[in-house]
Amino acid sequence: MTEGDVLLELDDVHMYFGRVAALAGVSLEVKKGEIHSVIGPNGAGKTVMMNCINGLYHPQRGRIFFKGEDITRLKPYARAKLGIARTFQKVEVFGGMTVLDNIRLGRHIHLKSGILSGAIYLGKTAREEIEHREFIEEEIIDLLEIEHIRNKPVGMLPYGLQKRVELGRALALEPELLILDEPLAGLNLEEVEDMARFILDINEEERWKVTCLLVEHDMGVVMDLSDHVFVLNFGLKVVDGTPGEVQNNPEVIKAYLGEEDIYATRK
Amino acid sequence: MSAKFLPCGVYHEDYKHDHAFWQTKFVKGKMILLFLLTFVFIPMSAGSYWLSVCNQIGYTVLCALGVQLLIGYTGLITLGHAAFVAVGAYTSTLLVLQFHWPQFFLDWGLAYPFSIIVAGLTAGLWSVLFGLPSAKVKGFYLILTTMAAQFITVDFILTQYVSQIGGRGQAFSLPPGTIKIGPWIIDDEVKVYYLMAVLVTLMVFALANLVRSRPGRAWIAIRDNDISAEVMGINIVWYKLLAFFVAGFMAGIAGAFWVSNTAALSPEHFTWSWSLWLVGVILIGGVGSVDGIIFGSIFMVLVMELLQMATIYLGDFFPQLMMKFLYVKESAFGLAICAFLIYEPRGLSYRWWQIKNYFNLWPFSY
Repeated sequence: MTEGDVLLELDDVHMYFGRVAALAGVSLEVKKGEIHSVIGPNGAGKTVMMNCINGLYHPQRGRIFFKGEDITRLKPYARAKLGIARTFQKVEVFGGMTVLDNIRLGRHIHLKSGILSGAIYLGKTAREEIEHREFIEEEIIDLLEIEHIRNKPVGMLPYGLQKRVELGRALALEPELLILDEPLAGLNLEEVEDMARFILDINEEERWKVTCLLVEHDMGVVMDLSDHVFVLNFGLKVVDGTPGEVQNNPEVIKAYLGEEDIYATRK
Repeated sequence: MSAKFLPCGVYHEDYKHDHAFWQTKFVKGKMILLFLLTFVFIPMSAGSYWLSVCNQIGYTVLCALGVQLLIGYTGLITLGHAAFVAVGAYTSTLLVLQFHWPQFFLDWGLAYPFSIIVAGLTAGLWSVLFGLPSAKVKGFYLILTTMAAQFITVDFILTQYVSQIGGRGQAFSLPPGTIKIGPWIIDDEVKVYYLMAVLVTLMVFALANLVRSRPGRAWIAIRDNDISAEVMGINIVWYKLLAFFVAGFMAGIAGAFWVSNTAALSPEHFTWSWSLWLVGVILIGGVGSVDGIIFGSIFMVLVMELLQMATIYLGDFFPQLMMKFLYVKESAFGLAICAFLIYEPRGLSYRWWQIKNYFNLWPFSY
């Protein structure tokens, strides 16, 4: 698969909760190698869309393709094995495990030890653990600059670092598609800049070249980072285009700021 | 509890060193001493009463390993673990008593060791059967399904049907000489002690290794956050059932060991209160820690023995105490758990960890 091919495709996806349409026929194409952002007001259905893509929700109608393969009915763990990783809006780290163990867990699908070799440990498992430790230290901990906290339990770290660990855990999976659900929410300015830098690194560096699907409210960052921006409102696509096209689209302005004449009457 | 502090002046220079179980010469020395204590000093010096106390502790450790794996590492609360111990004990006994072994198998003393392994596997599979609801239910609801395991297995199947096999009545007894490992007939406290020590060492190592490799991390991940565990590529249902299997396997081994100690078997050994007791052991020892199991077992068994001694001594002055010992024991159990939950909620192993760190960092504790 080369750059520019369609990596992920949503085809007319419908997701209802009771009679509430969270997604009412959404279609999206994410090309390999790009950063594709999804924006929209609160409650637009962005997180539902991400949950459909990585399998936490199963849409009632429509199909999802990853690398040309229909993954609509696959369970989340099976999608992870195909190369879809994600981070969550509210950090969902393993609080009782250390930073290192969190990232080691991200290697789960690449490790092979079972119950028996794990219980014996010596030999196969020990070799495997050391091999992957090297990968974790050199590729991930180094990239995200979290050397100083590697043996700390994640539950005791500040929020910004937890977000970074969560990103590291998702990277350990060596994904082809990385879903970032509000990676900047709740971070201070410096942390936002760091995180934006990491996202660019992951996307551009020859080593990683990960396609990113980014959900974010920070418009400055979204417009700077993205190759394409997809605007969602009330479960429907408003527009999908380059940041420049989106910024000047009257529909988008309406979705975010409301109708002009309503404001006029309020004044 | 996973953050570890190395003693002053100790640095790791490669990953192998950092992954090692015992990271310094001092710790290795301590462990060798512990081995000498367990395998040479105690069996040489202790009398048969204290050896039987040790065997009781070992049995509690073997039973509690599975409970710790399920509750402490996978977050699946179980209140029916005695059922799986019972399945192991009955499988082993029935294999030894009822199965027609080839004569050479008996001569070489392979029947009982073989039955220990089969007991583990049977109890593991039986445990998976009652683990199946965990695919759908969590928390309080799962407690009820594991309690069902207790009542269905022990009170119904074992008491009503299995105990009738061979027409011996309610209790099975194993004739002398049937429990034989290789050339050794397990017939006194010292031999039972050695069997216990070997099994406990093997099982504790197995659990400690499991929780620091791939399956164990998957279990801990399920405990901490099952949704993101699944998103990271862990098949949650499979790993929960695997946890039930391993916990059941360890319980089965415990049951099969217990037979060698008592040489008799009846469903009354595996009451629901024993299941509850095991949960108490890990609460006191420390949830989610391997050494917690050992500390908890030692504490619980020793406290009960001391209480018993005290009651017997005081019984000379207050005869009615002897009648009521059972209740004293139960209330002491309740009191101990309350006290631990209030004053030491992370268990004895946490206190042990603090003491170790204090000395590791001494004299520069900042």
